[in-house]
Amino acid sequence: MKGLVIKDIMCLKKQLTTFAFVIAGVVIISILYVLSSRFGNLATVGEALLDENNNMSQVDVKNLGSMALVMFMLIPIVSLGDMLNVFVADGKAGFFKVSASLPVSMKKRMLSRFLTIFVLCGIGAAVDLALALVLCTLTDIMSFGSFLGIIISSASILGIYSAIMILFCVLLGYGREQYAQLFSLLTIILFFVIVKFRTIKYVFVHIIIEEQGFESGVFWKPLDYFREKGYVFLTAMLIVSVLSYFLSLYIAERKRGVI
Amino acid sequence: MDEVKNVIELKNVTKDYGDFKLDNVNFAVPEGTVCGFIGQNGAGKTTTINLILDVISRDSGEITLFGEPVSKDTAYLREDIGVVFDEMGFHEFMTGRDINIMMKNIYRNWDEEVFFDNLKKFSLPAKKKCGAFSRGMRMKLQIAVALSHHARLLIMDEPTSGLDPIVRNEIIGIFREFVVEEDHTILLSSHITSDLEKIADEVVFINGGHIVLAGNKDEILEKHGILKCKKNDLSKISESLIVSSEVSDYGAEVLVNDRHAAEKLYPDMVIERAGLEEIMIYYVNKK
Repeated sequence: MKGLVIKDIMCLKKQLTTFAFVIAGVVIISILYVLSSRFGNLATVGEALLDENNNMSQVDVKNLGSMALVMFMLIPIVSLGDMLNVFVADGKAGFFKVSASLPVSMKKRMLSRFLTIFVLCGIGAAVDLALALVLCTLTDIMSFGSFLGIIISSASILGIYSAIMILFCVLLGYGREQYAQLFSLLTIILFFVIVKFRTIKYVFVHIIIEEQGFESGVFWKPLDYFREKGYVFLTAMLIVSVLSYFLSLYIAERKRGVI
Repeated sequence: MDEVKNVIELKNVTKDYGDFKLDNVNFAVPEGTVCGFIGQNGAGKTTTINLILDVISRDSGEITLFGEPVSKDTAYLREDIGVVFDEMGFHEFMTGRDINIMMKNIYRNWDEEVFFDNLKKFSLPAKKKCGAFSRGMRMKLQIAVALSHHARLLIMDEPTSGLDPIVRNEIIGIFREFVVEEDHTILLSSHITSDLEKIADEVVFINGGHIVLAGNKDEILEKHGILKCKKNDLSKISESLIVSSEVSDYGAEVLVNDRHAAEKLYPDMVIERAGLEEIMIYYVNKK
């Protein structure tokens, strides 16, 4: 089984090369961001936002800035954790025949896919944590705990997406990976819309249509949730992964030749 | 006398795809033999091999490997099986070294030294991406992998198709070396009968999802014959001897299933030995 995880990671070789550049880019951007927010344009923009009559407080401006930085910081996790290329590469090579002839049971073959997700999300999260440690030591942008929460939440969401994508890839079979990707995204968006329907409606009606301006409570609620409830996303990822594993296994046992 | 052990056994195996059915397939491959699995394209060879390897599930019947019934819990049996498919199956970006890293973490008995020796022996560069390999090299790479984990059984699906005669001959030489060991067995599917005539001990003919003939190759070749006669004499030949016949303006050719009996019964007629290819063609054309 370990060999199959290694093979999956080999399939992402190109992605891993890109990953090195992404890390370098993120580190440079983070340095520039920190410098700019202290002495450059970002500092000027922050002051201007406080001066304007838009209900923004010091905390809002700081949050806005840290949100932008967090977006950059999540790029390593996102760039690494996409399983789509593994399925595309396996389908192109016809590897399912080889894997079916190996002394590895279907259960383990399926499990190796999920282990790959965890390994990739883990590597992405580890890189981000290292960066976060440096940032929170040198600056006061965010506490390490907050960084940790956001990174765990993001890695977990990516894990959920990948777990759902594996299920769709197994269900649809090789050659339909793009649809699997689309359906996975739609599933996550649909779930989010159903769960947060009231908040989305509120933001849409009050802030966008009625233009009632910036509302601290509404805007930072998701960020606070990400910061503080990383364990919720992590638990959700574990549950989705387990469900996806058993469902994918059930389908793969019946369809054969899809993994 | 020692009882003959069957490495592969299929009993009443059926697989129905709707437009194609592998129907009630029965055959066995004894230990220490090379079994040629012959049939035209689409006859059901690959389906049978996929069933043996549990790549696809069967509708009914029983398959045993090394005496153990194949099920979803018997993946460990594949530790002793080397498999070669008609297409390579490894990712094109992979090098011999990458394959070694992957396989040594999969097979318990993976032997790195043997693998790299095989690569050298087959003139395959270990650092070159296998996507850049020719068809012959790709086949040899699969064979190198199949021979590097001390397998006792090789299952090969059309390993020589599309290869030039020199590479085919080289590959057959590799198979010969493999079966020098007494407990080594090969199931070799092919429609290139000349290759099988060179190496096979047993043959199994499959046509339209049915096994039409199975047994010892020499006995099959010894028994079958092509009887040549005038068109008018065709009716004189006992129907129980005729597998099928071909009639042309110049006369008739009949594949008989008992050459020696036919020679005794029809001493005036010309009866020649039949090759595996002729036997296959006549069985396929049988009505």
